[in-house]
Amino acid sequence: MSIADVAVAGGYTLGDVLLAGAAGFVVLALGMLYRAVVGPTMQDRVLAVNVLGTNTVVILALLGAALDEPTFLDIAIVYALLNFLMAIAVSKFTVERGGVL
Amino acid sequence: MALDALDPITAARVVLVLALLAGALFFTFVSMTGVIRLPDVYARAHTASQADTLGAGFGLAAVALTLGWQGASVKTAILLFFVFVTNPTAAHAVARAAFEDGNVPWTEGDERR
Amino acid sequence: MANDRVVVPIEDTATLRSTVAHVVGTAADGDVSAIHFVYLAAWREDDPRIDDRRRTARTLLEQAADWARYDLADADVPEGTVDVETALIAEDVYLFGPRQYADRLHEYADAHGIGTVVLDPEYTPVGNTTLLQPMEFELASTPLEVREAPVDRPSRRERLVSEITGPRFATVFGGSLLFYLVLGDPTSPFDLVTGVATALVVAISLSQVSLDHDPTLRDSPLRLVRGVIYVPFLFFEIMKSNVVVARVILSPSLPIEPTMTRMRVFVGSGLPVTTLANSITLTPGTLTVRARDADLYVHTLIPWAREGLFDGGLERWTRFVFYGREAARLPTPRERDDCAVLQGPDADEPMPFAATDGGREEGLNGIDADETVVEADADETGSNETDETEDRR
Repeated sequence: MSIADVAVAGGYTLGDVLLAGAAGFVVLALGMLYRAVVGPTMQDRVLAVNVLGTNTVVILALLGAALDEPTFLDIAIVYALLNFLMAIAVSKFTVERGGVL
Repeated sequence: MALDALDPITAARVVLVLALLAGALFFTFVSMTGVIRLPDVYARAHTASQADTLGAGFGLAAVALTLGWQGASVKTAILLFFVFVTNPTAAHAVARAAFEDGNVPWTEGDERR
Repeated sequence: MANDRVVVPIEDTATLRSTVAHVVGTAADGDVSAIHFVYLAAWREDDPRIDDRRRTARTLLEQAADWARYDLADADVPEGTVDVETALIAEDVYLFGPRQYADRLHEYADAHGIGTVVLDPEYTPVGNTTLLQPMEFELASTPLEVREAPVDRPSRRERLVSEITGPRFATVFGGSLLFYLVLGDPTSPFDLVTGVATALVVAISLSQVSLDHDPTLRDSPLRLVRGVIYVPFLFFEIMKSNVVVARVILSPSLPIEPTMTRMRVFVGSGLPVTTLANSITLTPGTLTVRARDADLYVHTLIPWAREGLFDGGLERWTRFVFYGREAARLPTPRERDDCAVLQGPDADEPMPFAATDGGREEGLNGIDADETVVEADADETGSNETDETEDRR
């Protein structure tokens, strides 16, 4: 059973705290977006987007727990899979003749 | 329900969830700082693959602990395992792509930032 | 060395033909007076099906000798200048480690006045993927000259694809079905039917690329258990170094000293080296950039992490997970002199930049020349069978 609706302090439930945590992750993601925009190399951008993707997965999971929506976790799993594939594929195809992996 | 009116197990769970969430935010903050501050792609890959994996791990553990014993937390465990396997692999792929592109790793005294 | 004799230990590999051609090529240049092909028997007298194995070995030896004679004739080497001989050796003892292989080879070479060993790069007796490098290592401590035949290995694409066998198919099928059912609802008939269909598609299309050894009921579960033992240790290492690295990154002066390093590891190819490389990457401060055969190129962020890496704790743990406790006793890479710093003021070696063709060994050949060899008790016991557990669990 979920404990998301247990009150923690000042009338806020644990779910609210998790939502706040997710908001914190969004703020941190904005910082990483800086690297994705500035680069300078292609690999820097891929790396930043990969980290952003991992962040998104955590945000999705936190929202799923806070709002009691377990289906969000399925989306998070698919997102994690796609994120991994993205990093591998871009690394592979930015190198000439694809020597990576 | 207030925190002190709970049975001890639930109270311990709440405290642990809060601690894990704090850890997750801290290590993701380290990761972000590293990705912004460090001088080249290899050094950035360090924090991107490690601090961030640990941050995500803590966050997902907090989620699993909140959800308790149900199907959804099994999915969270799978997600956790998956993040721990794929994150370093992805970082390796990116670093290797940079290496094969002829990117010289930054060393002390290098002007490039 | 006009009168040098050469011994070539052989096995049924994809590169045997080109190795023979290479040896004959050097013989045709006039450097070699005799070529000995030897097959090191990996069986004991009381092993089952020993006659079959002996016959297979003799057939292979004959085959190699025929190829050599053919190539010699083709290169217009006058008959009688180069002897081609074959031998099946070490039938009386049971070989279980690289040192035994090296010793037998040395004995044979001594008895026949042979000065050079040429190794087939794919030579892996008893299908033991971890044997070639330790064996080269052991041979280096004998007076014999050791060369690896500079032949092209089959491209990775071919090596990745292997045959579909029963155990492999079952593992991939079971793994994907389990994954499907965990995501869905194991009790609903609809999920069961669609799950079986999906897992079948996955197993048919992917079981030939996802595993390169058959999982067995004896070793694979054991590895899983040891892997579970490994997890808390790995987690502790990750936590410890994460705190150290976090302090470095958050400190205003950013006291980092990034350097590229090289470390030669003895863990075998495939899943073990992947596990090790991923563990190294997961531990903060170290990042595996390239894995080239047994050499891992690791980028280290701070000297503390570099020292930890050269202590080889993760390497020993990986060996423990895959081959058991016996195999985990190994000198550290620093004691073996198997590590090198590639950048900065104390650089030992130049940076091996890969050609952008994702390429092979060029630029790397000069490096190993001054490698000093340490007496290492790298006996590969406990690693008789290398099979892999399903990565997906």
